[in-house]
Amino acid sequence: MIIKVDREKCAGHARCWALAPELFELDDEGYVLPRDIIVPAGQEALAGRATRACPERALSIGED
Amino acid sequence: MASKPTVPDHVPAHCVGAFNLYKSPEMRPTPFGDPFAAVAKLLDGPSVFYAPETTRDGQGAWIVTTAEEQRNVLQDGASFSSYRRIFSSAIGEDWPVIPLELDPPEHGKYRSMLNPLLSPKRVAALEPFVTAKAVELIEGLKARGASAEIMTEFAFPLAVSVFLAFLGIPDDRLMEFVGWANELLHMGPAERTAAAHKVLNFLESMIAQRKAQPADDFMTFLVKAQVEGRPLTDQEIRSIAVLLFIGGLDTVATAIGLDLYFLARNPDRQQELRDNPAIMPSAVEEMLRAFPSVTPIRTATRDMDLGGCPIRKGDLVSCPSMASSRDPAEFPDPNTIDFNREDNRHTAFSYGPHRCLGSHLARREIIIALNEWFARIPPFRIKEGTAPVTFGGFVFGVENLVLDWS
Repeated sequence: MIIKVDREKCAGHARCWALAPELFELDDEGYVLPRDIIVPAGQEALAGRATRACPERALSIGED
Repeated sequence: MASKPTVPDHVPAHCVGAFNLYKSPEMRPTPFGDPFAAVAKLLDGPSVFYAPETTRDGQGAWIVTTAEEQRNVLQDGASFSSYRRIFSSAIGEDWPVIPLELDPPEHGKYRSMLNPLLSPKRVAALEPFVTAKAVELIEGLKARGASAEIMTEFAFPLAVSVFLAFLGIPDDRLMEFVGWANELLHMGPAERTAAAHKVLNFLESMIAQRKAQPADDFMTFLVKAQVEGRPLTDQEIRSIAVLLFIGGLDTVATAIGLDLYFLARNPDRQQELRDNPAIMPSAVEEMLRAFPSVTPIRTATRDMDLGGCPIRKGDLVSCPSMASSRDPAEFPDPNTIDFNREDNRHTAFSYGPHRCLGSHLARREIIIALNEWFARIPPFRIKEGTAPVTFGGFVFGVENLVLDWS
């Protein structure tokens, strides 16, 4: 499973990072880094919750 | 002489709604009111409608109710400009507060300069100060008795002193500043103009001081900051300083007040937090969802259709966060306050590039305020014989919140 990041839509709410700091890395301004995130096995549920927490719909789940 | 509110010719009669964020009965000061429930009812109606006289200057605006349509508006700075002269119009001038009233891409360069100062990681450094201030205020009011007026004795002094410390402004005039914010945000044109001059004069003297004598604070950061390889102009500095000063004075205190107003009337929900203090961060997010206080407003830059309504260039488009946060398409059982709610992508801090710059500090402050309150104050209720007064309008809120824990 991967998480796709739409950096254009990220507005820095950091709700993903608040739920799963080990999955999401923020830059110095507080925006999520613009790259696909590979979800380690066993963390799919957490990844799903963090993805759904984005107010901007900047995150989506994809297959790797 | 009262005149009938006018509706522009291009607005079809079926698009006009009866609700108004200022003048509807539930929006007026109401003892034991619930203005949020009144706004939530809008979700039973159309996603977009025209409300005559729904800004504080009595202008008409399109009100957008659903989360999806609000996202469409607030994420699209090209079609919906945020330039409204909210501050400068009060003193007969014409300049944007920065970065709120700038549109992308101009907006981005100032936002990038300010973001690191209030990023989630940087905000963590302010926590010890917030905690110490919260403890000092709670212990102080406890020592005075078993009841207190929360807004003036706890919520405002906490939120405002934290913000003033961040800006580098001494807090010996704290309640005077709160008075200015009240005049600016909640009173008529004459009070607003007078308050705007007071705020500007004060900030200009602060800026001059920091230029002469740098310190380690936000004001000094501003006078030294560079944008596009040059120092900020004096006009840019005051446009940023004004926004941050106003932004920090009202909303965090309001959120703390609204949360305690809800909890005081719901002892079982207090118990839930006492039984399981670990859920406080999630409970605070849920109360931000249920009781958000602000309404972003934009101006259409072109003609378009939105939610089946004909928007014309120049029309105001109003996005009450208290509507989108109760959208059943976004939040199952939106009017149930569930401290364990998942997928809580609420809109208390707005959407899009203008997402509240102070949001990370705000949520930490609210969590700390409630944690320290619950750690020190036994079960509490509204003091008998008193009546908290809720209000809608520019910033929703509550006043005369007297809590009793005797």
